[in-house]
Amino acid sequence: MTDTQIQAPPSTPAPVAVATRPSARERGTRVLAALFLAPTIVGIVVFTVVPIAGSVVLSLFHWNVIDSPSFAGTANYREMFTDSTVLVSFRNTLVFMVFAVALQLLIALTLALAVNGRMPAWLRSVFRSAFFFPLVLSAASISVVMKYLFNQDFGVVNWLLGLIGIAPVPWLTSENSAMAAVVLVYVWQQFGFSFLLFVGGLNNIPKEIHEAAALDGATGLRKHLGVTLPLLSPTLLVASVVGIINALQVFEQPYVLTNGGPGDATRTVVMVIYESAFEQLRFGEASAVGVLLFVLIMAVTALQFRLSRRFVHYQ
Amino acid sequence: MTDSHFSRRTLLRYGAYGAGAAALAGTAASWDRLTGADIPGRDDGSLVVATLGPAYGPEAVRALSEGFKKVHPDIKLRINAVQAVDWSDFFAKILTQIAAGTAPDLVYVATEGVQLFAQRLGVALDHWVRRDAEELREYFADVHPSLVESMMYEGSLYQLPVEFNAADIYLNNQVLRRAGADFPASDWTRDDFTGLLRDMKKASGSQFTPYFWTNRLWGGVVPWLFANDTNLLAESKAPGGDWLWDSFYPADRRGGRGGGFRWTTPQATHDRVEEVYDYLASLIREDLCTRPEGGNGQNLIGVFSTGRVGVTPAGGFWAGGLSLAGMRPDGFDTQYFPRWRTQRMQFGAAGYALLRTSKRQEEAWEFIKYAARKDTLTQLFETNQTTPARRSMLTADRYRETGPRHWQVFYDTLDKFPDTGPIPAPPQVAEVEQVLLKHTGTALSSPRAVRPALRRMQRDLEKAMEREI
Repeated sequence: MTDTQIQAPPSTPAPVAVATRPSARERGTRVLAALFLAPTIVGIVVFTVVPIAGSVVLSLFHWNVIDSPSFAGTANYREMFTDSTVLVSFRNTLVFMVFAVALQLLIALTLALAVNGRMPAWLRSVFRSAFFFPLVLSAASISVVMKYLFNQDFGVVNWLLGLIGIAPVPWLTSENSAMAAVVLVYVWQQFGFSFLLFVGGLNNIPKEIHEAAALDGATGLRKHLGVTLPLLSPTLLVASVVGIINALQVFEQPYVLTNGGPGDATRTVVMVIYESAFEQLRFGEASAVGVLLFVLIMAVTALQFRLSRRFVHYQ
Repeated sequence: MTDSHFSRRTLLRYGAYGAGAAALAGTAASWDRLTGADIPGRDDGSLVVATLGPAYGPEAVRALSEGFKKVHPDIKLRINAVQAVDWSDFFAKILTQIAAGTAPDLVYVATEGVQLFAQRLGVALDHWVRRDAEELREYFADVHPSLVESMMYEGSLYQLPVEFNAADIYLNNQVLRRAGADFPASDWTRDDFTGLLRDMKKASGSQFTPYFWTNRLWGGVVPWLFANDTNLLAESKAPGGDWLWDSFYPADRRGGRGGGFRWTTPQATHDRVEEVYDYLASLIREDLCTRPEGGNGQNLIGVFSTGRVGVTPAGGFWAGGLSLAGMRPDGFDTQYFPRWRTQRMQFGAAGYALLRTSKRQEEAWEFIKYAARKDTLTQLFETNQTTPARRSMLTADRYRETGPRHWQVFYDTLDKFPDTGPIPAPPQVAEVEQVLLKHTGTALSSPRAVRPALRRMQRDLEKAMEREI
């Protein structure tokens, strides 16, 4: 048998671009598109772009609300990098982010897999509602209640531990445990969002793939690691991006539970922004910290999308 | 032949036009709401008074407004009750209003903000006080000079105090009986206090905390600093103020008064400050008191009224609070803060500050006078939610229903200890308070943590005090 050479099709001349005026119909389409997009674009510009630009400008000034702003150049940024409270708050926020997001994703994924298993539909609905419920509550309200529960002297948690002979734990008052308590409260409230994403993602995985894996002898953990997780990776990416952005902006839980204490153990970047601006009337310094946080979030998110090329698999 | 049906594109186009028109119409219709122009009294020439929301109920606000209207029918008044969790939150909201160009004419300001407002926002009341001296003579005769002095800044008076609260000690009578302890004497000492806490602890279960305290500027570490004859910041008095003292107070009551307090050099590493922290650390080690971050006023009424706390520092405001929580008048009592090197106590006071931005300063002054009248305060402070600044208002009748039995302690804290003074609140108070709270938590977090934490507190206080507001 001889090889036959495949003939290339005769080349066709490349089309020449001719500038033509859009037809009335195309113009109508564009106007229509603009009309539909306008509310969103106006909203983004007014409520996102303008405040960001305003913060960048304000970060170059000293302003205490009472007097006129005075130009400071990069002084606010220089001061920020020498302020131990600001630096500690960035470290705390990053530590918080790592533990909170990891725990949130792990719990959400585990529960999603469990709920997705064999169980009556009504029970699945009960679990879905129960796990999502904390997310619709106010973070501040939850934190107030949790503050009571975790109170060292009068809290229910220590009372329950006392019943089994465990000494009271200074949940919110020890530098060793305060951050852990804040992370727990945050994760308890937030994991429902990732859980719902994962449930949706799991439902989108075709049954045939699992059946094929089962035929090949994959079971249990092996099946999840080899089949479920790779196919769930787009959902994991979304959950981790949203989780990290939210965790880097954490405020309510540490503010209510510990007010940043003991010392600076749970002081986060957004807390520092709030305290600098609204308690100490240093709006320029607060804006500089805000700009740095914005850059950090952008950088981390960009890095995630960059890494996602390697780890995320689309069907 | 024409097609009578709309194409999908046409339908979408008209839909978009309709939605746009509706959006424009909606925006136009709600323009007043969007710009806040529909807020009653805004830009209608009203005198705007900002108060701390929770301090006055709707009844009190109505009484204040209607009473003022009777006296001054020509002045429109709008009470803006700003909801806030504490004074610093309240000031933040007021400053936001100022930044937004909607500054009130008058702001209810407590000691925490007196100097900040005086230095940056307030108008001195001196010339009005001089002008209306005869009218005000009765007021000053009824108000302790310490309270008035706490409202002065660099020789000028910025507010007329209408209420105050000193950090006295509240005791749960049920817990006292359980411990077999007597009601403490008025000159009890720090060691008596410690002994009482130990007795209470011994007589109660593991779920009991003898001494509950909150980590804040008022009622936290500061009363102990005062009792040990020291302070967080070096305290002195500004010169001046003679114009007021000579006019309104007899010689025996104006001695040593000046033009207001000055809090300057931080002294967190002073030996006596260390002593105070060592003492509180020892109470924590012995399990005789709450850790500082654990203490917050939100759940205090519940645990005190049910006998899970023995003693706590609080002011006259708590008499009403405990009564509202269902505690009987004989369920608790009050005594002065215990003596250490001195028995000097701390207080916070409040009154109305007039803002420089106000275009109705004469009307505002009339409101300040009206708000300090006895009949006005009687209506406002019906429920004992605070201690009135007027001595004549503290009567057995006032405390008959709420308690405590030793209600005289509230005002006698000023009368019997004339050096009792305001909490240290310079214009940089927000940062000072934050530094205090932060490092107090660290200092009491573990053994041997006191000195390093106080050194850091000193450094941060120095930085805070150097900063211009």
